[in-house]
Amino acid sequence: MNSILSVLARRLATTTLVLFGVSVLIFLIARIIPGDPARIALGPRATPEQVERMRETLHLNEPLVTQYFYFLSDLLRGDLGISLYTNRPVMTDIAQFLPATLELVLLAGIFMVAIGLPLGALAARHRGGWPDNIIRVLTLMTVSAPSFVWAVILVLLFSYYLPLFPIAGRIHETIMIPPVTGFMLIDTILAGSWDGFWSALHHLILPAFALSLSGIGQAARLTRSNMVEVYDQPYIEMAQSYGFPEDRIARKYAFKPSLIPSLTIIGLDFAALLGNAFLVETIFAWPGISRYGVGVILQKDLNAIVGTVMIISATFLIANIIVDLLVAYINPRIRYAERSK
Amino acid sequence: MKRALTILLSNPLSVVGLTLVTFVVLTALLADFISPYPEHAGAVVDFLNANKPPSAEYWLGTDVVGRDQLSRIFYAYRVSLGLGVVVLAIAVPIGVTVGLVAGYLGGWADYVLMRITDVFLSIPPLVLALAIMGLLEPTLLNGMIAVTAMWWPWYARLVYNITRAQKVEGYVLAAEVIGAGKLHIIFREILPNCMPSIITKMTLDFGFVILIAASLSFLGLGVQAPTPDLGSMVSEGTRYLPDSWWLTVFPGIAILIAVFGFNLIGDVLREVLDPDL
Amino acid sequence: MSADLALSIRNLALSFKSWSGTSQVLHGIDLEIKRGERVALVGESGSGKSVTARIILGTLHELKSARISGEVWVAGREMSSLSQSERQALRGTDISMIFQDPTTALNPVYTIRQQFHEVLMRGDPKISLSTAEQRSADILREVSITDTERVLESYPFQLSGGMNQRVMIGMALINEPQLLLADEPGTALDVTVQAQTLRLMRDLVRQHGTSVLFISHNLGVVREFADRIYVIYKGRIVETGPAASIFDDPRHAYTKALLAAIPRLTGGGIPEIQEDSEAFFDPMVTHEDVSA
Repeated sequence: MNSILSVLARRLATTTLVLFGVSVLIFLIARIIPGDPARIALGPRATPEQVERMRETLHLNEPLVTQYFYFLSDLLRGDLGISLYTNRPVMTDIAQFLPATLELVLLAGIFMVAIGLPLGALAARHRGGWPDNIIRVLTLMTVSAPSFVWAVILVLLFSYYLPLFPIAGRIHETIMIPPVTGFMLIDTILAGSWDGFWSALHHLILPAFALSLSGIGQAARLTRSNMVEVYDQPYIEMAQSYGFPEDRIARKYAFKPSLIPSLTIIGLDFAALLGNAFLVETIFAWPGISRYGVGVILQKDLNAIVGTVMIISATFLIANIIVDLLVAYINPRIRYAERSK
Repeated sequence: MKRALTILLSNPLSVVGLTLVTFVVLTALLADFISPYPEHAGAVVDFLNANKPPSAEYWLGTDVVGRDQLSRIFYAYRVSLGLGVVVLAIAVPIGVTVGLVAGYLGGWADYVLMRITDVFLSIPPLVLALAIMGLLEPTLLNGMIAVTAMWWPWYARLVYNITRAQKVEGYVLAAEVIGAGKLHIIFREILPNCMPSIITKMTLDFGFVILIAASLSFLGLGVQAPTPDLGSMVSEGTRYLPDSWWLTVFPGIAILIAVFGFNLIGDVLREVLDPDL
Repeated sequence: MSADLALSIRNLALSFKSWSGTSQVLHGIDLEIKRGERVALVGESGSGKSVTARIILGTLHELKSARISGEVWVAGREMSSLSQSERQALRGTDISMIFQDPTTALNPVYTIRQQFHEVLMRGDPKISLSTAEQRSADILREVSITDTERVLESYPFQLSGGMNQRVMIGMALINEPQLLLADEPGTALDVTVQAQTLRLMRDLVRQHGTSVLFISHNLGVVREFADRIYVIYKGRIVETGPAASIFDDPRHAYTKALLAAIPRLTGGGIPEIQEDSEAFFDPMVTHEDVSA
């Protein structure tokens, strides 16, 4: 287990470095844009004196490097500034909107893994045969349309024509749940409302599935190609030489080793889910970070844009650390790194 | 090139892909001649024929101001394809150069360049593009800048990995022994060996650039009205669901057709040229 | 097939069909192994020796492009006449195989214990964990592994190549197969380790009375191991006879060339035969079997 801890330590170190890089990048983009941030913040009717005072407060008259350190120290204290769009601290806004998005993304991630991996394994098991070809065409189709197109098609089919799922929202409008964590599934349980829980789940399924479709395709295609590569390994022929049934070979011998390279990339696909959540939330009127994000972008709300990007990047990097730990857990080479000299 | 074509023509999947792509490219190029209502590409209004379902006159129906959807889709293809060409024409050379230099020179060049690449790769692509668009102005040009900024790091990674592997191959060592310059080795010896992977990835990416561009304009951050664009068409149409379904479904399928076509070709190329991609 | 034969191959031919045409790999070979006999099939890579092993094992039959004719009798069954699942049933029970590189042939993500258990379940699907543990430890001791507990809980990458080789030999023999196929065993190991494990393997199969088909590109390696030798060249058997007789009195031009190519140290390097000679296509030579 010690080596898993060392993987964790190493990843935390590089993640910190990368987050630092992201902060520099975002800071630079935010500073090189045409226009005076103070003027933008105050609006066109502000007097030159007001603008000058604002420049002073925002440290805009100091060298770029000094400005960056002010920015960084605020960031480290969890202070992302005030949003012009909502007039509240950016941190408060994000804390309100992010859980809804994360709930959506997490269920989509579960769909991606629970459907994508078996589909890919099935294709690899029958590589070259008709299940492989059908899965190849289907998965290529799911990655060939943006998630908002799938969202529209799914809503039309399963909300309007076949009214199986609600059209929009997070929970039935008659159910009132006090927000605690912001995760509706958890809050309903905390409130002891099973009706609320089922309603929240019911509202969550269709958007999460729409969001996961291209991820399912990616995961399946990746699993297939890695597993086909594993099938060329000598230990598969050895398993065949012992007459193990092909399905067992697929499950026990080919699938598990192929997970090691697959999972890392699936962590990256998680990033795509976070981004695509913007697209799906619009269709389902999902009160997540997307509506806020697009809003602040259209308002040119600097603090909020910078804050949102930082938080989403951090979320993504944390997800990747979790994936790396999972990989380390599956891969005995990392788990037992110490015992092999 | 000839080999690639033989491969593509001998596989039913890529034949379908080639057909779709040819269709998309032709409609984009010939939009002026084959569109039933070429003038509908602009800011035309025809309220008498507004919001009409598909009919013999308007195959894919009309939008809320009465413009023919089929014509607008043809013109939108023109915008999408143009965007794809421009983005890849900028992003690929940047990414490839970074990857080659970092991979071949190693040392601090490797460290600095690849860490910068990592930073770009650790921001979800769509979010990065959104941030850039937001901080600049939501125009077509800035859209291209945003998409380019999110695209080059993938090429840097890809080429970097190949370069690292090729660096120790005999032909590179041989060139070094006879005293060939670094530039010569990078661009004349190593680059040609990266080309199959680069071309395959470009084919796949062409579809994805179209997809991302549509996503940005879906959020109202890309191509601006009245220029026809598939993403904005879907976005507009969602307000009229479920009754005017043709407003969203047809532009959506149009995106699917174009991207699917490029993906089919890319997938077959990948299988033959670079299974690791 | 007479009862004292563990393997009998009659006029076996193999070709692969592809869209560019058909390529003939085996041109009708005959080969026999008596019960308890150790036979070597020797030839260069590409001579058809490895595909022969895959045909005996029945895995090549699953390949759509393979055209197989002739008869292969194993354990009283003719492979081509069997269904896919019947062939599968023979593998791991009546026939087993040892591979070239033990470290890549063992599954990287399971412990040796788990892999032994899987193999034992081929012989007895309901085998208990404690019995499996017991039998695995027993066979490991037979292959001269004393710290069985540590080896059983190891992953292949934690063991040396020679150790993995012995584990693989143990696995191949644990279900007491009638026929053991060994495809270039130990070629991936260094010379002394290879010689050691081959000696171990020879003693073991003798004790268990297992018939062995030993496939190698190196005549030197099989000298101590085999009772009889078949020399194969481009899909044809060119010479066959008792091992001693082949070594003392090679009669076919190709066998002579192979013998001349044996490196000093047994097993070291791949013998290279300078160039093909017309004489390599001379008719097959059969040595009288003095023991018969």
